[in-house]
Amino acid sequence: MFEILLNHYPVLLKGLTTTLVVSLSAIALGLVLGVLLAFGLTSQYHLVRWPCGLYRSFWRGTPILLQLLLVYYLLPEIGIEIAPISAAILALTLNTAAFQAEIFRSGISHIPAGQIEAARMAGISAWQTRRRIIMPQVFRLTLPPLTNEIITILKNSSLISVIAVTELMRVSEQIASRTFQPLETYLAAALLYLAVNLVLARISAYLERRMTGGLATE
Amino acid sequence: MFDIALLWEARGLILQGLWNTLWICFLGCLLALSLGLALAALRLANPRLFGYPVACYVEICRGTPLLILLFLLYYGGPSIGLRLDAEIAGVTGIGLYGAGYFAEIYRGGFKSIPKGQLEAARMLGISPWHTLTRVQIPQMARLIVPPGTNQLIILVKESALISIISVDDLTKNATTIVNQTFHVIEPYLAVALLYWLMIELVARGGYALEKRLADRQPRHVTQ
Amino acid sequence: MPMADTLSPPPTAKQKAIVEAHGISKQFGDLEVLTNIDFSLAPSEVVCVIGPSGSGKSTLLRCLAFLEPYDHGSVYINGKLLGYEDRSGKRVRTSEKRVDEVRAPVGMVFQHFHLWPHRTALENVTEALRLVNGLSRGDAEAEGMAMLEQVGLAERAGHFPESLSGGQKQRVAIARALAMRPRVMFFDEPTSALDPELVGEVLDVMKKLAADGMTMVIVTHEMGFAAKVADRVIFMDQGSVVESSPPATLFRHPKSERLQQFLNTWRERHID
Repeated sequence: MFEILLNHYPVLLKGLTTTLVVSLSAIALGLVLGVLLAFGLTSQYHLVRWPCGLYRSFWRGTPILLQLLLVYYLLPEIGIEIAPISAAILALTLNTAAFQAEIFRSGISHIPAGQIEAARMAGISAWQTRRRIIMPQVFRLTLPPLTNEIITILKNSSLISVIAVTELMRVSEQIASRTFQPLETYLAAALLYLAVNLVLARISAYLERRMTGGLATE
Repeated sequence: MFDIALLWEARGLILQGLWNTLWICFLGCLLALSLGLALAALRLANPRLFGYPVACYVEICRGTPLLILLFLLYYGGPSIGLRLDAEIAGVTGIGLYGAGYFAEIYRGGFKSIPKGQLEAARMLGISPWHTLTRVQIPQMARLIVPPGTNQLIILVKESALISIISVDDLTKNATTIVNQTFHVIEPYLAVALLYWLMIELVARGGYALEKRLADRQPRHVTQ
Repeated sequence: MPMADTLSPPPTAKQKAIVEAHGISKQFGDLEVLTNIDFSLAPSEVVCVIGPSGSGKSTLLRCLAFLEPYDHGSVYINGKLLGYEDRSGKRVRTSEKRVDEVRAPVGMVFQHFHLWPHRTALENVTEALRLVNGLSRGDAEAEGMAMLEQVGLAERAGHFPESLSGGQKQRVAIARALAMRPRVMFFDEPTSALDPELVGEVLDVMKKLAADGMTMVIVTHEMGFAAKVADRVIFMDQGSVVESSPPATLFRHPKSERLQQFLNTWRERHID
């Protein structure tokens, strides 16, 4: 296992970099989309809530591998030619947006209604209330589930190897088929995934400790 | 535009995929549920001996992709003399992976019961086994059903990965149909719908169980 | 001052002690919470244990029940050593089963009741009757109702703990312990978790028990109760028994400075 790590570290690192770039891009894009969706889900208008709910149901209720294949094969079908890596980022983004939307929706529902009423009574607009009063608190409240979601996406990014993106999983497959040491190779890859995710969990725990002040109370 | 006839013609593949996904998920989840309970019970019974190993196992399951575990079992297994059919590798992979998550869910359940309740049972001479079955598990059940249902749903969705190690499950057969007919939307959407139905079934089942457990202990009884 | 001198002999010293402890000590990590304690309890005797918080009185009771294993010394219930046995000259822990056997004559009531929330009041009382004594459902329920009657809660039999008041919960907990026909009852601060207006109903049940001749050890902060009901009061401080006498002597003529101080503080707080 360590032999594999030593002998093939340049390719493994390159694969890991691609894994991180794809995952973090999807997380960041999904965050923007997820916040907007969460606003949609908590909207007072039925016509806004309903399509957002449908979107959430589909992307949370079906396997991510299937979503990836659907996006990858469907885009050329409708005349859009994009690189596999872009298709991968797109699929992961659309998926994580649904999960993040649900996390934020739950966070928003935990902000006492009185705070929002107070803001509205002070003449702060609905949009400003969301931006300056609701969301800063929601990000703190939802840090633990958000970390879990980031780790889930990092793990799920291994699936994009099936559409030939040369990330960590794909690189490992190539090394395994060249060295005929699948056990050692995949253990090495597992170790790399584990290391990244443990570091992420640590960072999140640190942030959580630092941000405990000024939380919304029921 | 949406070609139903195409799906009808491919019904054989779809049904075969559905059957494979169903039994592999069922056995995998069963393995995950029981192995998880065993891990949590070991950790509870002797934290000094099993606490750290079980915690490590949980972290490994949480931190590595299921796909790697499947590859290790299916492609890596033979190099240590472990030759598994793809289906069996799938069941084992889902079981081992899920067990880490379930161990943590059970642990939360065990921990939620105040120690004093167990002391009260001990002082009345109630055996540890009866304390487990009559005091701990009935109270835990209510708590662990919602996260447990959630985890089962995740495992059903993740089961799609067994298609990558060449199991003819729903996802693999959908891709086969796509490659044969050059139609993308119909097979994938049909299969997505089937997954969604399975998940809905699990969710409904979990909800019904939760309700039954709650009914057994009415919140307020008036006479 | 040697510990044995502070222990007056039990009033009915000729009868065999139900609970007897010799030189027990207990440490939590580096902290010594009990130091070389001797204790003896005669049939029908009611002993109240008082002392500041952190004095080790609850730990003493829990060691006498082996809920906390004591480190040194020995505890005998009905003449049988609790928790340890001699195996070729070496002291080893007994099986949990053996602990249960030796401890069977002891009933215990906890500060926080520890009723099982998924069982009704009656089921809390009948659970051990059925599981341990093997009674049929019908017999267990008849017995359980009699016990609830005794604590004045027969009409609450079908209620779950969460719809009972704290005082009612504690009375159910007493009934649960009584159902096993204990020869001695341990009470660990039974009224400390209750609202003041609910303390009386629990103390009344305990007074009745004492009047009926039940042997009891009660860790409590209720000085009035201790003065009226106890045959003997033990004052503990910093893990040791400082004084042990009938309440009249102990409360009116405290010998040690620590007890005087403790009683003064208590009077300042409770009697205006």
